[in-house]
Amino acid sequence: MISSLLEYWPVLWPALAAIAVILAVVPFLGLYMTFIERKVAAYVQDRVGPNRVGPFGLFQAVADGIKIFLKEQLIPDHVYTALYFIAPSFSLITAMFALVVMPFGPVATDYQSGFRFMVAPGIDIGILMMLAISSLSAYGIIVGGWASNNKYSIYGAIRSCAQFISYEIPLGMSILGVVAIAGSLNIERIVASQSGSILDWNMFWQPVAMLVFFTSALAETNRLPFDLPECEQELVGGFHTEYSGIKFVLFFLAEYTHIVTVSFLTALLFMGGWHFPGLPGPSGASTTVLLLGLFVLLAKVSLVVMVIILLRWALPRFRFDQLMGLAWKGLIPLALANLVGVAIVLTLGLPKHLLIATAVLPILAAYYSASKFNASLAEGNTLRNGLRTQGAVSYE
Amino acid sequence: MNPLPIDPKNLPLVSGDEFQGNLSQILLLVILLGTAAYLLLQHGLVKSKMMAASGAALFAVAGLMAFTSIPMELESVVRMCFSILAVAGGIAFITAREPVHAALGFATAVLSACGVLFMQSAYFIAAATMIVYAGATIIIFLFVLMFAQKAKLQQYDVQLTSPVIAAAVATSLLFAIAWSVSEPGEILPVKLDLTRPYSLAAPGSAPGEAMPPVPDPAMSTEQLAEFTPGKTSGLGRSMFTDYLLAIELAGTVLLVATIGAIVLAQKPERDPS
Repeated sequence: MISSLLEYWPVLWPALAAIAVILAVVPFLGLYMTFIERKVAAYVQDRVGPNRVGPFGLFQAVADGIKIFLKEQLIPDHVYTALYFIAPSFSLITAMFALVVMPFGPVATDYQSGFRFMVAPGIDIGILMMLAISSLSAYGIIVGGWASNNKYSIYGAIRSCAQFISYEIPLGMSILGVVAIAGSLNIERIVASQSGSILDWNMFWQPVAMLVFFTSALAETNRLPFDLPECEQELVGGFHTEYSGIKFVLFFLAEYTHIVTVSFLTALLFMGGWHFPGLPGPSGASTTVLLLGLFVLLAKVSLVVMVIILLRWALPRFRFDQLMGLAWKGLIPLALANLVGVAIVLTLGLPKHLLIATAVLPILAAYYSASKFNASLAEGNTLRNGLRTQGAVSYE
Repeated sequence: MNPLPIDPKNLPLVSGDEFQGNLSQILLLVILLGTAAYLLLQHGLVKSKMMAASGAALFAVAGLMAFTSIPMELESVVRMCFSILAVAGGIAFITAREPVHAALGFATAVLSACGVLFMQSAYFIAAATMIVYAGATIIIFLFVLMFAQKAKLQQYDVQLTSPVIAAAVATSLLFAIAWSVSEPGEILPVKLDLTRPYSLAAPGSAPGEAMPPVPDPAMSTEQLAEFTPGKTSGLGRSMFTDYLLAIELAGTVLLVATIGAIVLAQKPERDPS
């Protein structure tokens, strides 16, 4: 076995190096994203935010980390101990495992040149693998909620279940159009298909797909406006009511890892990845170009992260029936219509930029929904009844 | 490491380990597993710690035996770990007293089976299984189980009619499968017809007739990818040529199921009064 380990070593060490990078960077990112989030939240609400520890409060994240590690481990009496302990770590493991097929820097599709910014390059089904692993992240929440043996936790877990099952469908469907045009499930190849001018970025001719993908991916991260599994006013703390200290932090590290994953995927699939006008592609490129590509990708990712953080303070939380209605009656039909458009364009061999016309789809959908709502109001229904005629089941 | 050049007449029949044991070893292994499953099933009935411990011990012995029968290489060891975990998950699935534990056991079995598939380079099947079973089906199971959970298990939740017969039938089935797998026979591994796209391969065509042409090492990577069996594009091509009828039938069944679900889910019209 040792000899076979040695035999694999030349293939193994770049992968181990990439794993080390991910393991080192992700918790750090998680810590500092909480800091950035608190700062942004403070500015949105006209406060100052954390500013005591270190310059501009920069060490607040470190202080929080130390405090949380030193907290007493509280284990409630009524929990199912084994699963109670497994749940948070499983949550984090799945969140980190999804990063295995994610290029976090420029990767050439010939896999020859440069440092491999990726744990497992050249996996044929990259994006599918990513979806498969992130579909497992529901287990952490469900098992945690169930093992807490507490009504609020179980309700949080059940909500999370329903949310995951619903939003996985538009998530998968929205990617299909991109995959069909790139002709590959491999993330590196999808990025490579967006090289060239800025108009080749998928966001310009797959705007509906980007909208649907971003919305459903945001729903899978359990963040506001989709944070029904942990909404404080209704469920105390939701699935993590019984968790404290480091176990609680593992759940939240997983959530922030999800945000990183979602931002990376949005940047890679729709915003051209490491491509930027004037910057040559990664194959056979010099180290400077590779580093520039890395910088471009990270800049795009930070942009998406910022949008996600700002959204939290811009949008109110959905009601549960609205949440389900959005997935089943809004996003899935939109994604299907987009897919039909892509299929027509591909089959007839039309130029792919015609697909920009799909941008009217969400506007039409919003107009249709609003007119239906207004019609029900005009019939003399109250606001609540109007919601009911839309299929939104009320609290009865 | 390089999979090329492929000679389609000499494709490996089983890409896993050559099982180094003989038939009696397989028999012993299967009987050990069957006994372990029986003891654990009985544990569900009489709740004896002794029984559970001896069942787990028997399972551990069977696992060790399986380990000794494979070559000590990294790939084989990892694959064997996945396999043992899959069997353990399966046994946990049928013996757990708590429904949620059973569902988690099933999840373990499915995920470990996906691990084995990954080791066999069947990436697409592995990812699809993960999404469909572990990601959707078992989560819906858990969803229902949590809604329907009771404070105490009922008698019919733990009552088994006859664990002896169940364990015996399972053991003999397992032995039959292990026996047939250990002597693979003339199973054609790849059935791919590139010459007749979008058509069904003629039923009853001779083995090897529907084989792809030999790949040329001078081809580009994309072209080569279509020749390598197990790659996603090859799978897609095979699905929509060789197995077109089966795919269409499955699609129809799913459509019927969807329509049925919509019909069932509709609320009856409310009485206006």
